[in-house]
Amino acid sequence: MSQRKLEEQTREKSLSVVTSSAITGFFGGAFWGTLGFLANVFHFTDIHPNVILEPWSLGDWKTGWIGTTLSIFFLGLFGIVAAYIYYFTLKKFENFWVGIFYGLALFLFVFFILNPLFPSLNPITELTKNTIITTLCLFVLFGVFIGYSISYDYHEMLREKGQAMEGKGEE
Amino acid sequence: MNMVHIPSHLREVEAYMKDRIGLGTSFDLGVRKIDVRKKQIHLYYTNGLNDNHMITELLKEIVQINEDERLLTKIEKVIENRIVIQSVEKVSTMDEVVDQLLSGLVVLFIEGEREALIIDVRSYPGRQPEEPDTEKVVRGSRDGFVENIIMNTSLIRRRIRDERLRFELLKVGERSKTDVAIAYLRDVANTNLLHIIRKEMKQIEIDGLTMADKMIEEFLVKQGYNPFPLVRYTERADVAATHLLEGHVLIIVDTSPSVIIAPTTYFHHVQHAEEYRQSAAVGTLIRWTRFFGIWISLFLLPLWYLFVLEPDLLPKTIDYIGPKEESHVPVFVQLILADIGIEFLRIAAIHTPAPLSTAMGIIAAVLIGEIAVEVGLFISEIILYISVSAIGTFSTPSYELSVANKIARVFLLIFVAIFHVPGFIVGTTLLLLYLASIRSLNTPYLWPLIPFRWRAFMQILVRRSTPGAKIRPSIVQPRNKYKQKT
Repeated sequence: MSQRKLEEQTREKSLSVVTSSAITGFFGGAFWGTLGFLANVFHFTDIHPNVILEPWSLGDWKTGWIGTTLSIFFLGLFGIVAAYIYYFTLKKFENFWVGIFYGLALFLFVFFILNPLFPSLNPITELTKNTIITTLCLFVLFGVFIGYSISYDYHEMLREKGQAMEGKGEE
Repeated sequence: MNMVHIPSHLREVEAYMKDRIGLGTSFDLGVRKIDVRKKQIHLYYTNGLNDNHMITELLKEIVQINEDERLLTKIEKVIENRIVIQSVEKVSTMDEVVDQLLSGLVVLFIEGEREALIIDVRSYPGRQPEEPDTEKVVRGSRDGFVENIIMNTSLIRRRIRDERLRFELLKVGERSKTDVAIAYLRDVANTNLLHIIRKEMKQIEIDGLTMADKMIEEFLVKQGYNPFPLVRYTERADVAATHLLEGHVLIIVDTSPSVIIAPTTYFHHVQHAEEYRQSAAVGTLIRWTRFFGIWISLFLLPLWYLFVLEPDLLPKTIDYIGPKEESHVPVFVQLILADIGIEFLRIAAIHTPAPLSTAMGIIAAVLIGEIAVEVGLFISEIILYISVSAIGTFSTPSYELSVANKIARVFLLIFVAIFHVPGFIVGTTLLLLYLASIRSLNTPYLWPLIPFRWRAFMQILVRRSTPGAKIRPSIVQPRNKYKQKT
């Protein structure tokens, strides 16, 4: 195998950890957001994904299916932000628990600090038990999803770099 | 262990054989003594593991030496030359002789020689390749693996004539000395993975591999009481070859018709060869339907039971779900009983002969279900959902996964029964976290969902057309990422 090709691969790779974090974040936000929507349909949680649209005053369509789709899209964007925060702070830890705690931290952040932004989102003390547990689980799963993916990508990139170095000596 | 060298007198060889392997005691061992040019020759063999015609031919040739050759010639050279079989090996220790003899090869000793000739005339009892019962396809090859490792490697070699394909042979088991082959493509398979597998295999200390690949698996992945399958088995030669080309490593164990594919993730267990024998669109549709079936087999019952417990949860449009009639038996008990009933059927069907199992199916489906409702033991809705989720279980392509999902379903049911909504949510979360935390052979189990890989995930969701799939899956960490350019 030629050296040039290996180098190309590693460059391509290190670039893609940043982009793949964005993809992971978006997909994660949208995916767990959709599950959250389904959980809302079955009344596991009182929170509908479109509370995220509340800070903006929009038309009536906000509560319809367009609003839901749009809010899931916004949750995806929120996921990208969450993914980048993880990428720049915690990517070195390839430990499962880090993701879980990251999810917990996000939950606390949204429900204690961002809470005033969303008028219809009750303070955490007024939410039902089911709502809190369901939302918390979704956040934890989202945290693991983001955390595990980014850390794994990052470490795999390191591994490939290491292998490419060895590979040059070998062949 | 100190090696015993071959003694120069045949008397001593015979005494050794009597003492060590029980020649004369065990009826399946034999020796044929003939004289060639005044020199004695012994031919040791194991009955039933070799081809009688070939041995006869061999003896004919050797006896013929008496007529054809002059007295002066070096007799051992002549004999070696006269052996009309392609695979002949010279060994100098009795340990090697015994190993080979008991694998079915014949061993030829010549008076006065310190080396023995080992001649491969093996022919093991076994069946011809036929379509495996567990992985049938509508179209496609019907030659499945058999119990003979040589036949299995040749079925793979027939599909991959690459000079870089390797079959490394090891012997595992103190007493059984079972042949185990590690198959891989030298320039594709990950060296680390190979290293781990070789190391683990060499460390195996066991009397015998009577359950073949399953026992190897338990040593390799150290599963413990985790019910989810950590390696994939296949009995199809085309599936095995496909995985080799993708960079996986196969472990082939003699006496078993299934081979181990490593590394494996959860999503390897939800794919099937049939999808690749149909057009990409049809394959994708089949796959989605299958995913739905698997999902149903896991979640339908717990979810329905949750709605029975808390009917308020249902959205207005489907609030007719849930039992109308009252029943004397609690719903939870009904669910568990019905599930156990299905399990009875499945277990019974495994060892019931085909003609009887048809009858059994009729009894089970028609009589038990209907009468149980009439008697008032079960409510009719339970029969519906239990059946649907059982069919979902059967639509899981991997038998091992379907059983594991069944256990997970019971676990969720119990959680729902105790904690209602939080039970369902937390149970599902724990299940997902548990699956995500599993690593088998250094491979995350839920890859490419957690950790997420967009490209690989799309290949799971959508069955790509063959010319479009150019990149090997990164989960095997292949040494060569790209499939060969056309």
